[in-house]
Amino acid sequence: MTAAIQKDTVQKALSAHAAIGLVVSALLYIVCVTGTVVVFYQEWQRIEQPDAPEMARIAPETVQAGIARVLATEKGKPRTTHLYVHLPVPDLPRTTVTTDHQAVHLDGAGRIAAREENGWSEFLLALHYTLSVPGPVGITIVGALGVMIVALSLSGVIAHPRIFRDAFRLRARDRNGIGLADWHNRLSVWTLPFILAIALTGAVIGLATVGGYGLAAKFYKGDIEATYAPIFGGEGKPDARPAPLPDVAATLRHMAVRFPGVRPSYVILHDPGTAGQHVQVIAEHDRRLIYGENYAFDAQGRFHGAAGLADGEVGQQASASIYNLHFGNFGGLPVKIAYVLLGLALSVVTATGVSIWLGKRERRGVHAPRLRSGWDAVTWGVPLALALTLLARLLIGNSAPFVAIFWIASALFVALAMAWPSRRTKRGMQWSLLASLLGSLAAAIV
Amino acid sequence: MAAFDVMMGTGAAAAAAGVLVLRLSWARARRSAGLNAVGWLLILAGISAGMVAAGAWGVAVVAIIAMGTAAVLLGHAALTSPPGRSRPSERRAHMLPGKGEPLHLGQRVLTFLLAVPGAMLSALLVALAARAGAGAADWHEANGNALALFLLPTLWGVFAFLLLMLRRRGQLLLLALPAAASAAILWLGPQA
Repeated sequence: MTAAIQKDTVQKALSAHAAIGLVVSALLYIVCVTGTVVVFYQEWQRIEQPDAPEMARIAPETVQAGIARVLATEKGKPRTTHLYVHLPVPDLPRTTVTTDHQAVHLDGAGRIAAREENGWSEFLLALHYTLSVPGPVGITIVGALGVMIVALSLSGVIAHPRIFRDAFRLRARDRNGIGLADWHNRLSVWTLPFILAIALTGAVIGLATVGGYGLAAKFYKGDIEATYAPIFGGEGKPDARPAPLPDVAATLRHMAVRFPGVRPSYVILHDPGTAGQHVQVIAEHDRRLIYGENYAFDAQGRFHGAAGLADGEVGQQASASIYNLHFGNFGGLPVKIAYVLLGLALSVVTATGVSIWLGKRERRGVHAPRLRSGWDAVTWGVPLALALTLLARLLIGNSAPFVAIFWIASALFVALAMAWPSRRTKRGMQWSLLASLLGSLAAAIV
Repeated sequence: MAAFDVMMGTGAAAAAAGVLVLRLSWARARRSAGLNAVGWLLILAGISAGMVAAGAWGVAVVAIIAMGTAAVLLGHAALTSPPGRSRPSERRAHMLPGKGEPLHLGQRVLTFLLAVPGAMLSALLVALAARAGAGAADWHEANGNALALFLLPTLWGVFAFLLLMLRRRGQLLLLALPAAASAAILWLGPQA
């Protein structure tokens, strides 16, 4: 490769990097910031509803009794098709039953203690997963953003031939854009394994709908469920005739005896109360990236086999590993803290990318104060809008309109900043962010 | 101490040491291929130890430790860097036209359409063709389907990047050739 070609390649890669970055920057930044915050999804739920009963474990018979009590409250409503029991695990030591109609916490005796109120955590997760866009469109857009991070990583490495050589050079106090560029390049190169892991797993999750439709259309006569059945296991044959509730207690006892080394985290009842019902237990395995193994049982609590996520085909194990690898819940609090720091680094990389581009233009004499101020408003306004939703949750309650608050506030901040570009606007948002976070902390403590 | 702890501890230490060696190597005035190799080999050994100890989980944990070590070194560099007045890079990204140059909006929209829906469609066709190939090769269905689901975003990312490096003719060929070959495989190949 000659030097001239190399230079040309580097220049093209820089153009590609800038083009992709500018097109996706704002949405990507929202996904990065929310992804960083949602690492503590389980902990946020505990902050949202601190009074919910907590327990280290729950007896199988108590779970059985709790399920019966919850379903007894749904008489006269359409029969629930799936019932989920979240079992106490170290990060979220609560027992919660979710049906098609409600979600409630159980106490240690299996009695219904309270409705689940985790509206903010769910809003946060949905914002990260779908940017609040319902249906498959939102999640596909977020998947596409993951793809663009892959393209940005490739173009970024090629656009900066000295990126590895300079990997420890951080001229943080150098003004004129050097410090900003160094932060951008150093953080991105050292978090590259994390960035690629997050981007690819996020893209696989986000584009599963598109890929699933493609596979279904070509190989499964349009049946999406059949596409995923070889990986995660299939649904049973429905039979709507009434039947007694399944013996969940026997299922959990069987799990404890046969698989003592695993930690059941969910019991899922498929079509409960019908002749076609069956029970699935998801159990976590220590020191594995998989979210768990799916154990199948019939209504009498007889074991029918495991899906193979823990020890089956490579494709099964890899597919079951993408969620924990993406969300950082595979190593307790230390890994979660590491993920938050890495997520912050990725957010900084995203934010500084546009700032570097704007800075270069300004040094060439192309000043765009409204654009600069608008980007500052994205950088500080998005976390501020998010902090305002948290404050609303703690002050107004579970029914606060989080989606409206977030998007209206974000749009308003950008509009105001572009209308009145000034350093004070940026300072105002920074102080407001600090005040909102302190206010949230105070509200959570009180 | 259990074998697991020894192996994970060794892996973590090797990866952290590898980062430190690279720090030393890259700080030298002249490039040292030997020191670079030692650094990368230590990181590789650390990751391998993580893999032996606990598979993908071990690799992920060792990688986090390596990145954490680098973060500490970067933090030190940030804290100890003197105030400077170096000239910043003036490399232009050539993202937007210069003063008086036409915007070429149609060309830009076409590039976007090629890099986003076009590259996705092409990647999807290749992923489905790979699934068909996996089926023909008697792979387990789970492996074939997972392969397609992982290939779709990976290829799309690579295509999107390569597209922006090429001129229009190259872009069209980059998308059309794999898409056409994949479509042929899907048309003629196994249907399940």
